[in-house]
Amino acid sequence: MYETTYHRPGTLQEAVSLFSKVEEAAYLSGGHTLIPTMKGRLAAPAHLIDVRRIPELSGITVGPDRIIVGAATTHATVAASEKIRALIPSLCGLAGSIGDVQVRHVGTIGGSVANNDPAADYPSAVLALDATLHTDRRSIPASEYFAGLYTTMLEPGEILVRIEFKMPEIAGYAKFRNPASRYALAAAFVARHRDGNIHVAITGAGNAGVFRWTEAEEALQARFEPDAVKGLLPDENDLMGDMHAPADYRAHLVGVVTRRAVENLGGTLIE
Amino acid sequence: MGSPLHKSTSGPGTAVLEKPEMADLSPEMKLVRDALFRHVGKPLPRKEDGRLITGKGRFSDDFSLPGQTFAAMVRSPYPHARILGIDTAEALASPGVLAVLTGADLLADGLEPIPHNPVPSTKFDVKLTAAGGGIPFTGPHYLLPADKARHVGEAVAVVVAETAAQAADAAEKVFVDYEELPHVTETKKAAQPGAPAVWDEVPDNVFIDSSFGDEAGTAAAFAAADHVVTAEFHIGRVTAVPIEPRSSLGHFDEETGRYTLYAGSGGAVRQKGELSKVLGIEPKNLRVLSYDVGGNFGARNRVYVEFGLVLWASKKIGRPVKYTATRSEAFLTDYQGRDLITKVELALDREGKFLAMRADNLSNVGGRCVSLSPLSKGSGLITGSYHIPVATLRARAVFTNTMCTQAYRSSGRPEVTYAIERLVEKAARELGFDKLELRRKNLVSPDMMPYTNAVGSIYDSGEYEKNMDRALELANWDGFEVRHEEAASRGKLLGRGFANYVESSIGSPKERAEIEIKQDGTVEVVIGTQPSGQGHETSFAQVVADMIQVPVEKVWIILGDTDIVSVGGGSHSGRSMRHAGTVMAMASADLLKEGRRRAAEHFGADFDAIDFESGHFKLRGTNQTIDIFTLGDLTREKDGPLRVARDNEMHTPVFPNGAAICEVEVDPETGHVLITSYATVDDVGRCINPLIVHGQTHGGIAQGVGQAMWELCAVDASSGQPLAGSFMDYGMPRSDNMPSFKCEIAEVISPTNPLGIKAGGEGGTTPALATVVNAVLDALKDYGVTDIDMPVTPHAVWRAIHQSKGERDARAS
Repeated sequence: MYETTYHRPGTLQEAVSLFSKVEEAAYLSGGHTLIPTMKGRLAAPAHLIDVRRIPELSGITVGPDRIIVGAATTHATVAASEKIRALIPSLCGLAGSIGDVQVRHVGTIGGSVANNDPAADYPSAVLALDATLHTDRRSIPASEYFAGLYTTMLEPGEILVRIEFKMPEIAGYAKFRNPASRYALAAAFVARHRDGNIHVAITGAGNAGVFRWTEAEEALQARFEPDAVKGLLPDENDLMGDMHAPADYRAHLVGVVTRRAVENLGGTLIE
Repeated sequence: MGSPLHKSTSGPGTAVLEKPEMADLSPEMKLVRDALFRHVGKPLPRKEDGRLITGKGRFSDDFSLPGQTFAAMVRSPYPHARILGIDTAEALASPGVLAVLTGADLLADGLEPIPHNPVPSTKFDVKLTAAGGGIPFTGPHYLLPADKARHVGEAVAVVVAETAAQAADAAEKVFVDYEELPHVTETKKAAQPGAPAVWDEVPDNVFIDSSFGDEAGTAAAFAAADHVVTAEFHIGRVTAVPIEPRSSLGHFDEETGRYTLYAGSGGAVRQKGELSKVLGIEPKNLRVLSYDVGGNFGARNRVYVEFGLVLWASKKIGRPVKYTATRSEAFLTDYQGRDLITKVELALDREGKFLAMRADNLSNVGGRCVSLSPLSKGSGLITGSYHIPVATLRARAVFTNTMCTQAYRSSGRPEVTYAIERLVEKAARELGFDKLELRRKNLVSPDMMPYTNAVGSIYDSGEYEKNMDRALELANWDGFEVRHEEAASRGKLLGRGFANYVESSIGSPKERAEIEIKQDGTVEVVIGTQPSGQGHETSFAQVVADMIQVPVEKVWIILGDTDIVSVGGGSHSGRSMRHAGTVMAMASADLLKEGRRRAAEHFGADFDAIDFESGHFKLRGTNQTIDIFTLGDLTREKDGPLRVARDNEMHTPVFPNGAAICEVEVDPETGHVLITSYATVDDVGRCINPLIVHGQTHGGIAQGVGQAMWELCAVDASSGQPLAGSFMDYGMPRSDNMPSFKCEIAEVISPTNPLGIKAGGEGGTTPALATVVNAVLDALKDYGVTDIDMPVTPHAVWRAIHQSKGERDARAS
C-alpha cells in the first residue's frame, strides 16, 4: 500500500470541505473494494476520508411507502433489520448473502452502491426497487444513477447519504455465485410495484454493470409467473465473459435466476 | 529399455519383503513395544492447541530483531525474458533504501544455486534419467537469475529498506531492461516439436525421458487381449494456499561470523544444509529456526529464494532483513503442485481380468526443476490397487515458463490414482461390467502380500477388498436408488463415485531422537520432524509416554531449532510418525537400558535383576523400586543427566491404502455440484492418535476435493499471465461446501517397522480427485457425458451437459 492519510470527519460539511481541500482524496466506507485495491497497489489515494461516523449516514427509517437506509449501514444491520424484514424480506436476504460474516459487519450499503461493482448485490435492489439516491447535494433516481462498470453519476466529492427504496407489492432475489469469489455470476432482483409495474434488475452479468432486463419485464407484465420467462435469454453481446463463466453461460444463468426469483417471491434463493 | 523399476527378479506377485529393521528385539525394545497402548491409540486432545488458539504460536513473521530491515522483491512481469540490464539508481535514491541487489551482484559474490537435488535417489525410488539414460539437466536455481526470467513473478532483484512500505515503493523504481522471448506454459505444447526452449541446454524442453517395465511382455499381452481401453487425463496445476504466507528473517552476526534464519518450513535441517551451500559457508555457521508453521502440504519443503536472499542481504548491510510474502506473492510464487498429463491403456480378457497396462506420464516442472518427486512417486503406483501382471511406463518431465512445481499433498499419488480409477470405470462402462465387480475381480488380495507390482513397488500389507466392503457399508451404497429418486423429485441428479487407492510413503530415511529425563520432572524429546498442524507435540508425546511409562503430560517435544536438532528428515511424504516413532522407540529402549544399569548400581545388584514396570525400576524379588525421575536425580551428579541420543535409518517404504466414496447432487440447470456425502476407509497401519489421524484425513479430503471441484492455477497461454492470482479467482474448499465426512481407520499393521505404522492424512487426498469426478460423471450419465476436466465447476458441468446434448441433437437431426 502506498502512503496515505486517514481522516474521520464528524459532519457532512467537514467531509465535503476536506475532500475539496486536499489532492487525491477518496471517501472510505466499509473499504471492501478500496482497501484490497490499495493493498494491491492499484489505487493510491493520498487521503482517505472515512464517512462512517457522519450521523446523517446511519439509521433505517420506514415510511408508509418507503424504506430509507443510511449509506453507512452495514450489510449485517440490514440483514438483521426486523423493520425491513417485515416489508421487503428479499432485501434482508440479499444483504445476508454478501461475502461472509466479517465482510457483512464492516461493508456498507452506501459503499456498495457508490462503488457499483458489476458483481455486487445491492445495485440490483436499487434498480429493481426504483430507489432514490440522496446525496449531500441532490437526489438521483436509480434509473439515472448507474453509469457503467464501477461508475455512477456521483460527482467528485459528492457523498451518498441515504437510499430510499420504494416499497414493492412483492419482490424476490435469486443469485448464482461464482464458485471462487462468491460474488454473483448472475443474480436477479424482481419486484412488482404497487402500481403494477414489474422491474427485473440483473447484476453479475452485464458488461456495463447492473441493468434492467426489459424483455423479461414485458413477459412478466403479461403473466407474472415463473414460466413467463422460460426460453428468454439476454443478448450475449451485452454480457461479461471470463474463465468462470463465458457470456453464453451467463446468459443462460440470467434466465435461470430470473425465473427462480419469481419462484421465490418474498424470499431469497442463493446457490 | 524394458528393465523393471527396481531390481526384482521374481516379477509381479508375491515377493520377499526386506527384513524389517530391528526384527531382533532387545529386552528393552520388547518392553517398549509391549508397553504401547496406554496412551497410543487414544484420541488425546492436542497439547499444542491451547498455545495456538490463544495467539501464543511462534510463526515466522512473529519474530523481530533489533535494527531489522525489510526486503521487497522486483518480480518479472513476463513469462520469458532476457535481462539486458537493471537500473537501480532511482530505487537506491529512494527514502529509506539500504540496498538493491541483482543476479549480477549475486554472481559477483560467488553464491551458488540452491542444491535442490530434484531426482529422488533412494533405492525404492524409480530411476529417472535424461533420454538415453544420462544425468538430467535440471536448470540451476540461483536466488536471482542473471540471464533470464523464466516465469511471471520470478524475483530478479531485491530491495532492502528501513520499512516494508519503503522497500515496496522502491521496488517499483527498479527498472529492468527486458527482452521478451517466446514462451510456452502448457504441459503438452512444451513437449511438442518447435516449442520455445525454456533452457538452451534442453532445446526440446523434455529433460527426463525414462521407460520402465516389461515392454515386450506388455506388447504381447496387449496383442492377445480381448479388450483394450485407453484414456488421457490432465491433472491440473494447483497451489497449496497455506494460511500463513511464507516468511523469513535473516541475520548475520559480524562478531561470531554466524548466520541465523527464522523461516517456517517442512524441516529446518534441510534448509540449513542447502542454504549453507548457497552461501558457501560451513553448515555450523548457519542456525535455522522453524517453529510453528501455518500449513505446508509440500510447498514449504524446498528452499525458497527469499530465504537465501535475506541472509545474503543481511551480511551486505550488516542488519537483520525480513521478508514476508503477500497473498498475491504466495499465489504467484509458492511452489505449486501436480500438473501431469497421463495417457493410459488397459488390456483385459473376456472375463474382465486385467492383463497389462501402459502409461505415458508427462510432468510439468515449471521454469526450473525443484523436485521430481511427483513424477517418481506416481510412476511406482500406476497399477493402483490391482493385480496387473505386466506394465510399461514412459515417464517424462518438461520445462515450461510457469512457476516451479514440487511435491504437493500426497505427491504424485492422486494423479496416478485418478488415472487408474477413471480408466477402470471407463472399462466397466464400455465393456458392460459392473464397476465394483470389475474392481473386485482384479484387486491385489491379502494372500498376495507382500506384493510386487508390475513396475516393481513392493506393497507391504493391506486388505483391499475389506476396505471396499466397509466403505460401501459406510456410504450405504445399496440405499442409493431411494436417494436418487428423492433427488430426482427435486429436479436434481444424484451420482455416486468410488475409488480405491494405494499409495507409498518413503521419505527421507534418516531420523534422530534425543530423550532426556529433566530435573523438573519432565521428559524432553528432541526430534527432527517439522509439524505444520499434524500435532506431533501430542502424538509423539503419546508414544514416548507409553514407552517409558510416564504420564503423557510430562513429555515435551522439542522441534525446529538446528542448534538443538542436528539431524532430521523433516515432515513430508507421510514419513514423520513412522520414522520418528521408530527412532523414539529405539531411544526409549536405550534410555531404559541405561536406567537399568543405573538402578542396578543404586541397588547394588546385577543388571539382569532389574525390571521396569509402570515407570519404576524394580529389584526383582524385593519391594525395592525407584522411579525414573528420582533415579535421574540421584545419579545426575555421578553419571550426568539420564539422557540418550539415537540415530536410525529406514529405507523400506510402506503402502497406506483404502477406498473412498462420494455422492454428489448436480443441478442440471446451472451445473452446480453439491457433495452430499463422503465416506472413506483408510488403512494407516498402527494409529497412534485417531483424533489427529481423522483430522488429518478430513483436511486431506478437502484438499483433494478442492482440486476436483474448484482449484486451478489457470494461466493464459497466449500471454503467459496467471489468471488465478487471488481468492477472487482461485476457488477453495470451505466449511459450507463440504459435507460431514464418515471416516473409518483400518489398522493393518505394517511388517516393515517395529510399530507397524504406515501413514495417515495423505490418504484423504489420494482417492478424492477420482471419486469426486467419478460421482459427477455418474450423475451425468443419462446426458451421455463420459468425460470432464477438473475442476468440475458449474460452468464445466453445464458445458458438458450442453455439448453432449448438442451432439445428440446433431446426431438425431
